[in-house]
Amino acid sequence: MDKYIRNIYRGVYTVLVGMRLTIRQFFEPNVTHQYPYEHDYEKKRNVREIPKGYRGQLYNRIEDCIGCKKCEMICPVDCITITGTKLPKGEQLWDSMNIVHLKDGREVIGIIEGDDKKARSADSVTLTNITSRQGPQEVIDRLEPSGVESRTETFASDEISRVVTRNPVVFYLDQFDIDMSLCMYCGLCTEVCPTECLIMKDTLEGIEYSKFDRSDLIFKFDKQEMYKE
Amino acid sequence: MSDFRVMLASPNFNVSESFFPNINLQDGLNWAEEFIQNVVLPRLPEAVASHFPVELGTVLVMFGCAGIFVAVVPLLPLVLVLAERKVAARFQNRTGPMRVGPWGVLQTLADGVKLLFKEDYIPPQGDKFLFLLAPYVIFACSFAVFAAIPFGQNILVSDFNIGIFYIMAISSVIVMGVIMAGWSSNSKWSLLGSLRSAAQIVSYEIPLGLSILTVIMLVESLSMSEIVASQSNGVFSWLIFRTPFTFIAFFIFFISGIAEVNRTPFDLPEAESEIVAGFHTEYSGMRFALFFIAEYANMFAVSAIAVTLFLGGWEGALPGYDILGGLPGFVIKTSALVFLMMWLRWTLPRLRVDQLMNLCWKYFIPIAFFNILGTGIWGLIFPEDTLVSTGISCAIIYIGLITAYKIAGRTFAERPAPQPS
Repeated sequence: MDKYIRNIYRGVYTVLVGMRLTIRQFFEPNVTHQYPYEHDYEKKRNVREIPKGYRGQLYNRIEDCIGCKKCEMICPVDCITITGTKLPKGEQLWDSMNIVHLKDGREVIGIIEGDDKKARSADSVTLTNITSRQGPQEVIDRLEPSGVESRTETFASDEISRVVTRNPVVFYLDQFDIDMSLCMYCGLCTEVCPTECLIMKDTLEGIEYSKFDRSDLIFKFDKQEMYKE
Repeated sequence: MSDFRVMLASPNFNVSESFFPNINLQDGLNWAEEFIQNVVLPRLPEAVASHFPVELGTVLVMFGCAGIFVAVVPLLPLVLVLAERKVAARFQNRTGPMRVGPWGVLQTLADGVKLLFKEDYIPPQGDKFLFLLAPYVIFACSFAVFAAIPFGQNILVSDFNIGIFYIMAISSVIVMGVIMAGWSSNSKWSLLGSLRSAAQIVSYEIPLGLSILTVIMLVESLSMSEIVASQSNGVFSWLIFRTPFTFIAFFIFFISGIAEVNRTPFDLPEAESEIVAGFHTEYSGMRFALFFIAEYANMFAVSAIAVTLFLGGWEGALPGYDILGGLPGFVIKTSALVFLMMWLRWTLPRLRVDQLMNLCWKYFIPIAFFNILGTGIWGLIFPEDTLVSTGISCAIIYIGLITAYKIAGRTFAERPAPQPS
């Protein structure tokens, strides 16, 4: 009889202990990643260090690219497509110009008076020939010389966040497409690149960039990209 | 089932009245007629209203209500299957289905559509007629149970005067369907599963019936609505707290109920790791879906019956206030018990067959008999349910639980972890 009662006690007690254990798990945060919708690096969890020189997603710093097409030629799987336009002799896209980024978010396009290299360390910067067009939406419109006013403005150095110089352009790329669905990550293209503007990302974003549509894997680094800051 | 034989032999039991239950049709007609007179007719043009067939309209309204009930009850398993998957996922730190609809709420619907279009395979060596019939037997019996459950004050299909007896009787027929399915499949997994199921259901029906008997003894009625009506004075008039014996009976009822509906830890009839899927191994497509729906409907039905018998049904927790009362209260209480079932499922491993029978015959049945004896003596000491009897009952339950906790804490104190040698 003693054993009988003990058995009932033991049964009830052990069930309750088990139930306490499971209900604790009920309120634990879940460990599931909604993988294609959220990535590890977005949630800042399970992030590991990536070794230097990891061959990840291809990326072209288009402003340094000279359009030599060496990468296109060496690519074993033809995943890079480049089309460039060279302007006829004597023509150029724009004159040399400067963009002054102000701390309040505005950007002013014009030409710096005097030596623009010295202007970066000077107390104040004077811009002449300021265009009326402003803001990053006007990237393509900067090609056009219209909208130029002969206005001059002086900015104190504590107003300015940075100063950018744009050199005149005689050659530009219409198309620089990299099809990452074809790429075999051999890294030959990055080795031949003379300006070392074509790189393979060794960040988490460069490792993990799955897409729902195969066409989303064609990454475009083109003219429009070029004039972005 | 000795308890029902006793009841059938009693002089107060009127067979003709019980098997042709005296449903008060007039009440229902009055309600529907009032709806027609007060809501429908004032909204109609006068020329139509003067010629409106009120009697036909009344019948149509009643059919409409019945249609709503018939449509809503099969939706329960849809919700329950999703709830089961979500709760199971939470217990394992997962999220469960997330893709179909927001938070995966349409997953069950998608699964249902998938099952609808699957091939309906019939084993050529099996008994075709029984194979086709079995899912319908189980499905029909599972849903017939809902006819006697009072979901709210006026939300019940039929107020039998033998409601709980009807539920016990109709749910016993399920085992027939299970054996039909197992035998007609001509598969060893199915036959083993169905025979296990038969043994299990027949065994566990005894403690189930005996625990119901304690309630019937206190209420002195088999009618579900009278059982609910006797618990109308707040939480301490609920039958679980009425005597210390019904408190034990509730747990016996609930655990036997889990065994009745073949859920873990009593899922031997469909033990995945042993006999594939038990009695429904050979079923596919919509017939499998019927088994699945019936399983979850059973689960809800057992919880609903436990709520009706022991936890006050649709009556609230405080007299005069609508806390945990009405249809929402009933659904909340039932869902809590369903959650408890899922919680147990993810806590306990499956029992062995001998352990299953051991638990039933050596523990539940003697304790259930002891309960009946105790309830009878309690009824002699306190013929009426008064504040004093309830107070004494609650005090005994409280002291018993505290003592058990103290003793258990002393006896099974956590041992220190073994030191590595």
